[in-house]
Amino acid sequence: MAKIIVVTSGKGGVGKTTSTAAIGAGLAMRGKKTVIIDFDVGLRNLDMIMGCERRVVFDFINVIQGDAKLKQALIKDRRLDNLSILPTSQTRDKDALTRDGVEKVLKELRDEYDYIICDSPAGIERGAHMAMYFADEAVVVTNPEVSSVRDSDRVLGLLSSKSRRAEKGEEPVKPHLLLTRYDPARVAKGEMMKVEDILEILSIPLLGIVPESPAVLKASNLGTPVTLDANSNAGKAYVDAVSRLMGEQIEVRVLPPERRGLFQRLLGRPA
Amino acid sequence: MPFQIRGRSFTAVVLQMTGAADAEFYQTLDAKLSQAPHFFTNAPFVIDLDRAVGLNRSGDFTGLVRELRARKLSVIGVQNGTIEQNAGALTAGLITLQGGRDLPPDGAKARSGDESSGEEAEDRPRERPIDRNDRVAAATEAAEPAEIAAGGTVLITEPVRSGQRIFADRGDLVVVASVGSGAELVAHGNVHIYGSMRGRALAGVNGDTSARIFCQSLEAELIAIAGLYKTSDDIGPAAWKQRVQAFLDQDALCVEPLK
Repeated sequence: MAKIIVVTSGKGGVGKTTSTAAIGAGLAMRGKKTVIIDFDVGLRNLDMIMGCERRVVFDFINVIQGDAKLKQALIKDRRLDNLSILPTSQTRDKDALTRDGVEKVLKELRDEYDYIICDSPAGIERGAHMAMYFADEAVVVTNPEVSSVRDSDRVLGLLSSKSRRAEKGEEPVKPHLLLTRYDPARVAKGEMMKVEDILEILSIPLLGIVPESPAVLKASNLGTPVTLDANSNAGKAYVDAVSRLMGEQIEVRVLPPERRGLFQRLLGRPA
Repeated sequence: MPFQIRGRSFTAVVLQMTGAADAEFYQTLDAKLSQAPHFFTNAPFVIDLDRAVGLNRSGDFTGLVRELRARKLSVIGVQNGTIEQNAGALTAGLITLQGGRDLPPDGAKARSGDESSGEEAEDRPRERPIDRNDRVAAATEAAEPAEIAAGGTVLITEPVRSGQRIFADRGDLVVVASVGSGAELVAHGNVHIYGSMRGRALAGVNGDTSARIFCQSLEAELIAIAGLYKTSDDIGPAAWKQRVQAFLDQDALCVEPLK
């Protein structure tokens, strides 16, 4: 029976899709049968981050509406045997996500996979609500800045009141905090929020700290989850986060950010 | 300043319409009104359109308002209408309200008690506040495990997250966890927060000037007692992150450290 994990944040641009891809790939690398689902209907991005955008024929919405079978829409990753991607539609909007439809698809996936990772759209409207509704656990992606922290707080409130578990009065959705784009030097200068302050405000367990890294943008543009880049500190941070998600006790490391080299800085673009 | 602007909550009477405003509707309404001729005098009326099919054209609303006002019912707005219905209501001079919540049954009982004593309902609308319409979305999310103890005290043990709103509609509100920025605590009585307080706290919302707010660590966006408020800028650095109480002293909101 698969565990359903939603990757969410409220705020846009904090790294939900990147984290979904990285965590999904990380779980698959550890031998877990994993499927990642894009809930951002109308702004289909996960397939690009995963480098499978040219293989999309049918999508999540086609399956919900009964136009295609789930098997036809699932894309098997070429690098990792255990990983599948369920892309979303670029032409439809969030209204196409029905609770019954989503439930039916998740139910079918639950028997076959160990982990189902739902990539939530930004915001707290229908798409985000549907992504979090059936979740067992939640990875709340947060940047070290005040607006992102407040939006995460809002999302945590929604998880504890608007999820299926909350409505049924079951054990609440288990939240994890994933701090991304963290830069200790800027924290020291007081330009970014400290880990302790964020933990104090959100009061949920820390899953990992991903340092600011050009490897993330590079990975996105190449269509490779950053977890596969074992040399980057961001990749290492995601590997650690995946281990913690699987229940292992690992000390949280604050890895230094990777700076752009002098040459790249002169060229004015990231590596 | 020649005026003061304050927030105040009122109770409105909701008329849930289930069909068009036809002869049958007015007949039944008249029969109901004849049972208690003065009961609704001066009470603000809101028409709930959730199930009112067949009431669409702006003419419908103009006629409806005229008929209801002729019966001394003070219609002020509509809610749960479609876009067309809201537009029609606007033409008839009605505002569109959102949210609100029904009074608890004991409130209804107290109300019918008033009725039998034949009192004029002069200040009835002030008896019990309902949610102000700008706070609605959050109100529906305030499904935190709230325990209502005897005497109407509401106890919250989980963190109150941004966007959540907890309303103690009968007594004190006690929170033994942190309150996030953008969260709102509202109580008829006192508000106690034994955690970091980063949101808003409104005590004595029914006009109780003796209500107080107690904080373990005051980092609030806003505190208010009986409608008088201070924002974090007004509170000043001396009380920031301190254990404090806030109370009213002759129309001034004072924030003092707890010794």
